[in-house]
Amino acid sequence: MPHELDVRGLPPPEPFESIMRSLSSLPAATVLQVHIHREPFPLYEVLRDNGYAWQTTPLEDGSYSIRISLRT
Amino acid sequence: MKTVSLNTEQAPPISVPLRFFAVAPLFLLLSGLVLLSGTDNPFSDPRTPALLAATHCITLGFMAIIMVGAMQQILPVVIGSPMPASGLTAWISFLSLISGALLLPAGFVLGQPSLLKLAWPLLLLAFLTFIGASLTSLLRAPARNPTRSALLLSILALAGAVVLGVLLARGYASGTALFDARKLATAHILLMLGGWVMLLIVGVSYQVVPMFQLTPDYPKWLTATLAPAIFGALLLNVLALFYQPESSWLSVVAADLFCVLAGSFAMTTLDLQSKRRRRVADATLGFFRLGMTALFSAALLAIAMPMLPAIEHYEMLVAVIFLLGFAMSVMHGMLYKIVPFLIWFHLFRGSVKTGVPNMKEIIPEPWMWRHLWLHRCTLLAALLAPWWGAAAWLVALGLLLQGVLLGYALLTAISVYRRTLVRLERNSNPDT
Repeated sequence: MPHELDVRGLPPPEPFESIMRSLSSLPAATVLQVHIHREPFPLYEVLRDNGYAWQTTPLEDGSYSIRISLRT
Repeated sequence: MKTVSLNTEQAPPISVPLRFFAVAPLFLLLSGLVLLSGTDNPFSDPRTPALLAATHCITLGFMAIIMVGAMQQILPVVIGSPMPASGLTAWISFLSLISGALLLPAGFVLGQPSLLKLAWPLLLLAFLTFIGASLTSLLRAPARNPTRSALLLSILALAGAVVLGVLLARGYASGTALFDARKLATAHILLMLGGWVMLLIVGVSYQVVPMFQLTPDYPKWLTATLAPAIFGALLLNVLALFYQPESSWLSVVAADLFCVLAGSFAMTTLDLQSKRRRRVADATLGFFRLGMTALFSAALLAIAMPMLPAIEHYEMLVAVIFLLGFAMSVMHGMLYKIVPFLIWFHLFRGSVKTGVPNMKEIIPEPWMWRHLWLHRCTLLAALLAPWWGAAAWLVALGLLLQGVLLGYALLTAISVYRRTLVRLERNSNPDT
């Protein structure tokens, strides 16, 4: 069951901070499902550098769903 | 339009933009001092040495330094294409721009042609370096988006404005009367403010407004057409200015076209801001909304000008609203948003660390609100100054205090950055 995090409507850099804080506090095997209003390009660079894999799905309302997990 | 990727890997060291931003408030302070040095009301005539000097303190010393510094960050991060020899480019443009921006107003206010003779080659060096590096970066950029187009046109307008500015400064320095000096000066102002300043703000707003103010994106049709249309309208204005025999209908059509486009940008931005997702009071948004309201008012007043009976100082009023109301307000708003974000991002550097301050702690919000109120009062005084001499003193005092306030805020931010960096390094290497 993924851990869900909704950061829609938060100004920069709060979505970025919340996502990184969740990733560092959750158990390693947990998948984080993020709901965000804009595609967070700077986040991808950081996820890659920290060993995470992600999958981004654009939603019909213009927001995005991002599934983040540790790279195996 | 989708906001493009922020390519943070190519960002220059934070010292590059901060170096430019940190000296800019000094020129606001100087502009206030220069206005105080005038004997008569400097706002009564646009050619008074004190007003000419104060205007160049603001446009060259404050605005150009901020814009040149911001471009060092925007080009690699938003367009994905760093400037060639970025370190050298930054130092050459920084040192020559500051020196030129100090000497030119000094030459005007002291009536010393020798200072102007020193100033124009320095400014030419600063802008040639900056324009050459920016054009190289923009032309080889992988991104093809409306921000890139707007920035490219903004740099082309700057190139034209610099050529005219150098001609005018050389004319002043040598004391020789230039052919059509008044028209050259008008074309210089048009390209500098209507082109370089306006188009840069338009291009950067496409990114900054939706991202930081949480508004919907600008409509695609607008971002695809607005900057080229503004640039076309500017060229038409310059053509009408030098057209022989002088054609009043062409001038009116060209001026109205530019004003309609500028007003549309202001209205669209205000409309987007009214639809923002998070309705929390924010001083940076206050600066931005004041700027857009001023741009819309300036456009409306300029369109109405030919229809109204001749009013003394009407053109001065429109210029004050554009320069202090629009351009300066937006730049304050962007600085107060972008400087804390840059500092936070460079401290965070992509991993969770304890002790990185919240973005709101980098420049305290109450300082920004105080500055916004001070700026509003300065603008109000500037609107009255062409007719009421005492208000000119208030404008001078307002600019002086704004320089102090902004300088203090930016130095506070830099000191937070340095202190936090030392602490983080100490925490990561506890043995050292």
